[in-house]
Amino acid sequence: MDPIGQFFASLVEPGRISTFEGESASLRFDIGSGSRRERWRVQVTDGEVAVTRASAPADAVVHIERPHLEAIVTGRLNAQAALLRGLLTCEGSMAALIMFQRCLPGPPGSTGRVAPISSQAVTAGRRSA
Amino acid sequence: MSAELVQILEGNTFVVSDDRGDIEASATDPTGLFSFDTRFLSRWVLTVNGQRLTALSTDDLQYFQARFFLVPGTGTVYIDSKLSVIRQREVADGFHEELRVLNHDSEPAKLEIRIEAGSDFADLFEVKDALVKKGSYQARVVSGSLVLQYQRETYIRQTWISATATAAIDESGLSFSITVPPHGEWSTDLHVVASEGSPGEAPEAPVGIRGQGGRRVREDMARGLEKWLGRAPRLECDWRPLELIYRRCMTDLAALRFSTLTMPGRSLPAAGLPWFMTIFGRDSIFTSLQALPFNSELAATTLLALAERQGTRTDDFRDEDPGRILHEMRYGELTAFEERPHSPYYGNADATPLYVVLLDEYERWTGDLKLVRRLEQAARAAIAWIDEYADLQGNGYVSYQRRNEQTGLENQCWKDSWDSISYRNGDLPGFPRATCELQGYAYDAKMRGARLARQVWKDAAFADRLEKEAADLKRRFNRDFWVEDGEYFAVAIDTDGRQVDSLTSNIGHLLWSGIVDKPRARAVARHLMSPRLFSGWGIRTMAEGEARYNPIGYHVGTVWPFDNSFIAWGLRRYGFKEEAAAVVAGIMEAAEVFAGRLPEAFGGYARSSTLYPVQYPTACSPQAWSTGAPLLLPCCC
Repeated sequence: MDPIGQFFASLVEPGRISTFEGESASLRFDIGSGSRRERWRVQVTDGEVAVTRASAPADAVVHIERPHLEAIVTGRLNAQAALLRGLLTCEGSMAALIMFQRCLPGPPGSTGRVAPISSQAVTAGRRSA
Repeated sequence: MSAELVQILEGNTFVVSDDRGDIEASATDPTGLFSFDTRFLSRWVLTVNGQRLTALSTDDLQYFQARFFLVPGTGTVYIDSKLSVIRQREVADGFHEELRVLNHDSEPAKLEIRIEAGSDFADLFEVKDALVKKGSYQARVVSGSLVLQYQRETYIRQTWISATATAAIDESGLSFSITVPPHGEWSTDLHVVASEGSPGEAPEAPVGIRGQGGRRVREDMARGLEKWLGRAPRLECDWRPLELIYRRCMTDLAALRFSTLTMPGRSLPAAGLPWFMTIFGRDSIFTSLQALPFNSELAATTLLALAERQGTRTDDFRDEDPGRILHEMRYGELTAFEERPHSPYYGNADATPLYVVLLDEYERWTGDLKLVRRLEQAARAAIAWIDEYADLQGNGYVSYQRRNEQTGLENQCWKDSWDSISYRNGDLPGFPRATCELQGYAYDAKMRGARLARQVWKDAAFADRLEKEAADLKRRFNRDFWVEDGEYFAVAIDTDGRQVDSLTSNIGHLLWSGIVDKPRARAVARHLMSPRLFSGWGIRTMAEGEARYNPIGYHVGTVWPFDNSFIAWGLRRYGFKEEAAAVVAGIMEAAEVFAGRLPEAFGGYARSSTLYPVQYPTACSPQAWSTGAPLLLPCCC
């Protein structure tokens, strides 16, 4: 399945709501350009998420190419890094974009734990000395 | 940084030049125009008839403004000049420079004025580490401006340079062929704008390159500073130096204000000037706590900005976990290409519990229930992080170990140098490390979180649970960290559950957090005020007699004003008024010696052996939490 479609569909799944609790904002993603342009619109109303393909105005309008958005919604590209690199541009509310990035996944393979390092290893090897 | 460098700034844009106003940076030389962690000018050199100039005097007018009085020539002997050149510079989106040439002669002066300009577009991290650039450079003249550009794939940064007077512009600078009448004057305004840039043959001029006069910017900024100082409470004291120290600190705090892109009208304290003009979770929180009695907006903005970027996922590169409060945010090229993890980086173990501490302290000073309600989810997520993600050893204590082994931080507590946490014999513990002050912060976060839950969020069950967990943590902590033969708390617990038993200033933070059992507090206070820890100016980071003790070692013997301000608060909390007053007096007297601007740290030499506190050499001044120390300290008496 298309990762972008899958991602936007997942936003309205039950359990996602806590990500945006208490927040209200709208974002529109304009993907690609010309006749191949694709649009997704996310409306968050007091934490409640609605996703449509509407072209109505939004607090933030994000312009991005399809491969870059695919990389972002699968955790292979960090959204803030993409913004700094000019891979995406944001018209309107930056706060809405920052709020939205909360629901993006982390990089694939991030496990959250590493093996402990014993005192002997640190003292013997003088780590970072 | 050498003494003759002049630095001015606004937000995260700053200029570091020599005393003539010139910039001639090399790859590793920290001069230039910097904005968003990128150097936008590395060359800015003024000549008159091909000659460099000499500074007669330099005025730091305000933190955002400097004026250079110059004469042509660079001879060692000053020759009575018929010309004066005055450069006045203000930082804003880049900078504005008013260049004035005064002819003191009765003959007209025919002159070639030249400004050489260039940029290496180095990332701040590259300036520190001397890395090689991967993109390409371009310089061109576009509709009356010199445009310097750096491009790496879609990453583009541009510097736009223009002048109000007629100039011949080429790819390496601007030239003015002028005749200044007898006893007359010539002037031009130079605008330098740092821009994200746009691709293409005819790039668009950024907002601010035209029509925004230097004078208006200057007036707006001066008014802003006056308003800031005017809003602060008035302080009167019969010890005169306190008033001067107070004014210095409030002015420096104004300079340290930083606005995020999401909250343009509001500001939070950045960590230090100029290299740390960005959000740091720990530094912004500690400084907000120190400044709360005098300004609550900094705390409110810090709380909002950190909540916006609170961790939501597991990201090993950024050491991010759900609920974790960020450590540091950067905007340069290396961050953009994910060669550094600062987008933002989360590797610290203290900012998350301290976030809840700040939220509670903010409410106590302001009664702003609205903000506390708005940030309920952020606070709950922070508390959940303590239990679910920070207990790396499964022993019920907060500890830290980086997951990003290449560019992550090894030491994720405030004493972040490699040798700061050691056993008495100097050996270093492994990782994860559970330092003692982290347990204090976690305890305090739960106690304060419980208060907010009961009084504001109306969740008594959650409050009960937090209080129970806090009481349990306190009981275990007083059992496991107490060094019996020394009667103090170990600086950490290692991976084998052994005490890391050096005597350090960290025990003072434990008093501030309230995790110390009352009967043990007197012994802790006695240690803090003993000659091993108290130098006479303040409390050392590590006690004399420990194997790694060094009075000029960064975290192993120096005195940190910020550290002392929280220790004094802790002493006061447990009722040790005289001890708190001794710490306050020592640091405030040091502040007087430093004309109100305390350094990050000073030497741990005994006061009886040095007439003045010896400054630790550091690139950053003022440092936010040193600036905040004299604000908090008088409140601890």
